Amino acid sequence: MSFFAVDGLTMRFGGLTALDDVSFEVDRGMIFSIIGPNGSGKSTAFNCISGIYQPTAGKIYFEGEGISGLAPHHIARLGIARTFQNIELFSTETTIDNLMLGRHQHMHSGVWSGVAMLGRATSAAREETENRERVQWIIELLDLVRVRDRPVGELPYGTQKRVELARALAMEPKLLLVDEPSAGMNADERAEVAVRMRELRAELDVTILLIEHHVQLAIGLADRVLALNFGKPIAQGAPEEIRQHPEVIKAYLGDG
Amino acid sequence: MLPQVLASGLSAGSIYALMALALVITYKTTEVPNFAQGDMAMVSAFIAYMFLTDFETGFIFAFGVALVFAFLLGVGFEGLLLRRMRKPTHLNLIIMTLGFTLALFGFAGWKWGADQRHFPFPISANEVIRFGSVSISTLSVATILIAGILMLLVFVFFRFTKLGVAMQATQQDPIAARINGVPARAVVGLTFGISSVIGTVAALLTAPLITLDPTLMWDALLKGFAAAVLGGLNTPVGAVLGGYLLGVIENLFGAYVSVEFKSVVAFLIIVIVLWFKPSGLFGRHHERKV
Amino acid sequence: MIEPTRDHYQDIRLFTARGSWIKLILLLVVLVSLPLLLPGYRVFTLNYMAVFVIVGLGMNVLVGYTGQVSLGHAGFLAIGAYTMVLLMTRLAVPFPLALVMAGFVSAFFGFLLGLPALRLAGPYLAIATLGFGLAVTQIIAHSALFGGHMGLVVPDATVGPFPLSGDVSKYYVIVGITFVLALGVRNLSVTRVGRAFRAISDSEIAAATMGVDVAYYKTLSFAVSAALTGVAGGLLALMTGFISPGVFTFTLSLMFLAMVVFGGLGSITGAVLGSIVMGYLNLEMDAFQELPVLGPALEGFSERFMSTVGLPNFGWVVTGMLIVFTILIEPRGLYGLWIRALDTTKRSKSTDADLSRSGPGAD
Repeated sequence: MSFFAVDGLTMRFGGLTALDDVSFEVDRGMIFSIIGPNGSGKSTAFNCISGIYQPTAGKIYFEGEGISGLAPHHIARLGIARTFQNIELFSTETTIDNLMLGRHQHMHSGVWSGVAMLGRATSAAREETENRERVQWIIELLDLVRVRDRPVGELPYGTQKRVELARALAMEPKLLLVDEPSAGMNADERAEVAVRMRELRAELDVTILLIEHHVQLAIGLADRVLALNFGKPIAQGAPEEIRQHPEVIKAYLGDG
Repeated sequence: MLPQVLASGLSAGSIYALMALALVITYKTTEVPNFAQGDMAMVSAFIAYMFLTDFETGFIFAFGVALVFAFLLGVGFEGLLLRRMRKPTHLNLIIMTLGFTLALFGFAGWKWGADQRHFPFPISANEVIRFGSVSISTLSVATILIAGILMLLVFVFFRFTKLGVAMQATQQDPIAARINGVPARAVVGLTFGISSVIGTVAALLTAPLITLDPTLMWDALLKGFAAAVLGGLNTPVGAVLGGYLLGVIENLFGAYVSVEFKSVVAFLIIVIVLWFKPSGLFGRHHERKV
Repeated sequence: MIEPTRDHYQDIRLFTARGSWIKLILLLVVLVSLPLLLPGYRVFTLNYMAVFVIVGLGMNVLVGYTGQVSLGHAGFLAIGAYTMVLLMTRLAVPFPLALVMAGFVSAFFGFLLGLPALRLAGPYLAIATLGFGLAVTQIIAHSALFGGHMGLVVPDATVGPFPLSGDVSKYYVIVGITFVLALGVRNLSVTRVGRAFRAISDSEIAAATMGVDVAYYKTLSFAVSAALTGVAGGLLALMTGFISPGVFTFTLSLMFLAMVVFGGLGSITGAVLGSIVMGYLNLEMDAFQELPVLGPALEGFSERFMSTVGLPNFGWVVTGMLIVFTILIEPRGLYGLWIRALDTTKRSKSTDADLSRSGPGAD
C-alpha cells in the first residue's frame, strides 16, 4: 500500500468537468509535482484532497485509509497540511498567532482551562508556552523572526507566502500540499523557493505534493511528476520523461 | 371558519408580501438585507400623517408626498451612506442598515413622540363586507387589492419596460450591463428608491389597521424577512408567495393552535426553512468557490 | 536574529510591562472608590453600565471573534434574568448559584440557536437571531409562569450571610463579577479556543484545513456568548429588582450589536469602552438635556422643530448616528481610532531614525 494514492478522482461543477479520472501514487518522502496550465484542475485536486470539495467520483487514500468524504478538519488531523494559491492567512493576526493556529490539533485547552489561565503554572499557560517554543525553530528556519509579532496582513506578498508555509509546517504534517509556492515571484525568489523545498524535505520527515505553474521549477524539484490539461492526466513519470513528453510540450505551447 | 381564516391570512399576507418584495429587490441588487426597510416606511407614513393632520391636506396629496419622500429616502440612503462605506463587508452592510434604522426610529420618536396615534384613512377598518359566510373589513379588501395591483405593476415594470429590463440586467451582471450602457450606480439607487416606496405602501396600509407609532413596522419587517426567507431571498416571486403563505399559516396557527404564540410562528418558519432548504422554497442555492 | 533566551510565556501573560501592574492597581482603586465618591443614584448607572460591559464581552466573542451576527441577544439577557429569578422564587435557590445557573441555561439556548446558525451566513443568520429574540419576549409575555406582561419582582438576594440591599453593595458584586469575566474572556482570547474563534471569522476554510472543527467552534462561541449575556441578565434583574418582557426589546439587541461595533469588533478593550458609552446612552437618554450649552440649545431646537416630549428619543438618534459614522469613517471603531493615533505618533517619532537607514525592502 502506498503512502498516498488518488484513484479515479473526478470533479464536476454542473456541466463543467474540472478533474477527469485522475490517478496517482506518492511514496513517503517524495516530492511529487502536479503541473499544468491555468485551469487544468490542479487546485481543484488539492481542494478535493483537503476535503473542501467532495469529489464527484474516485477515492483518495492516505496511509492505507480512504479519506475522501471526510471533513477538512478530520483530514488535517490525519497529518495533511496545505497552503493556498490565493493566500488564506488570518490577516489580522500576528505571524506567531498564525503559526499557533497550526498547533491547534496538537493542543488540548478548552474554554474552562483557557479562561482559568491565571499564571505560568496553569495548564493552558504551560501548553501555550511549550507550543510557542516548538514553533520558534520554524520561525527561524523560514526567516520570519523579524515579523514574528506583526499582523500578517501588512507583510509583503512573499513574506506572507512564507508565513503560510510556516503555518502548515507548524502542524507537523506527514503530507504537505503546497499550492503555487512561486506565484508572483521573480527568478531569484523562485530559486530560493526551490532551495527551501529541498531543505524542508531533508530536514523534516515530510512528503511534499507540489502544484506549480512554473514548469521548470516543478520538474526540477520533483521525484515524480503528473501533468494535467483541462482536468485530464496527460502524462506521468520521472522528471526527465515529462520534460520530453510530446503531450506536455504541446499543452504548454498551446498555453503560450 | 376556514374561509374566514384564509381571508384574514390573505389580508395580513398582503402586507408581508409587500415587505418581502421590497426587501428582496434590494437584496438581489446589492446583497444587503435592509433592516432599515421597516423604519424608512414608518417615517414616510409619519410624513403622510403630518400632512393629513398638521397641514390638513387631502389624502391623495398627503400619500403622494409620503411616497415621493420614501423614494428620496431610499435613494439618499443608498447614495449617501451605503455606497460610501470604506469596507462594505456583509457584516458592515448589515450594521449600517441597523444604525440607520435606529437613527430613524429615534428621529420619529423625537419628532412625533412614542404615543399611539389614530391614522386617518379614507377606507374604514370597521365596516364589514360579507362574502357568503366570510366577513372581512373594507380595509382588508382594499389592502389585498392595492397590494396585489402594486405588485403586479412592479412585475410589469421589471419585465416589460425598458428601464425595468435594464435594471434586471444590472442585477444579474453589473459589468455586462455597464458595457451595454446601463449606468449601474443609478440603477442601484433607483432600486432602493422603488423598494422604499413599496415598503411605504405597506406602512400606509398597516397604520390604519393598528395605530401609528415608531414601532409601526417592526412586526411587518420580521414577517417580511420571514416571508422572503420562506420563498427565497433571491426570488421576488417566491418572496411574494412566501408572504401570502406566511399570512395564511400564521392565521391558521392562531385559529387552531394558539393565539398567544401566533407571532412565534414566523420565527419557527425561518428556522425550519433555513434548516431544510436554506435557499427558500422557490430559490436556488449558490455555493462559494475557493 | 536568534533569540535563545526568549520567554514564551511573555507573549500571553497579562502584564507585559512593569507599569501594567501599577495600572491595574490604579484601576482597582478607582473601581472600589467610585461608588463612595459619586452620588447614590449614579451608582445605579454604574451597575447598568457594568451589565452592558458583560454583554459587550459576550457579543465580542460571537460577532468580533467568529464573525457571526446576532440581533437577538436581548433574548439571552431575558433567559438569564428569568432563569435566575424563577430559580430564586420557585425553588429557593440562593442567589450565587441561581446566577451561575442563569449562565448555563442561557448557554444551552445559545447552543440550540447555534445549531441552525451553522448553516446560515450573514443576512440569514441576522434574520434568524432577530426572530429568536422576538420569540423569547413573545413567549415570556404570554406565559403565566413568567408573569406575562406584568413581569416578576426579583426577591432579595444574599451572598452567604450578607444581604445585597442598596445599589452600593450590588455595585461591588456586579463590578467584581464583570472584572473577573473580563479577565476570563481576555485569557480565553489568547489561548487555543479564542484563536480558533478568530480564525473562523478570518477564513473558515483555512481554519478547517488547520484542523479546527468550524461547526463545533461556531456553536461553542454562541454558547459562550449566551452564557455571558445570561449572567448579565441575572445581574440586571438583581440591580433593577423587577423584570418584564418590555425590557428585552429588539432595540436593546440592536444596542448590544451597536456597542461592540462602536467599540471595535474583535477587541476586548473596544468592547468594554463601547459598552460603557452605549450603556450610559441607553440609560440616560435624557442626558443630553443636562449638558451645559448644548442641552438648552437642543431643547430650543426640539421645541421649535421636533417635540419636547420626544426629546428622550434623541439618544436613539445619537446611537444610530454613532453606528453609521463608525462604519463610514473607521469600521474598527474606537479601538481602530486608538490604533491609528498610536501609529501616527510612532511614525512621527521614528521618521528621523528611519531615514538614516536604508528604506524599503527591509521587511
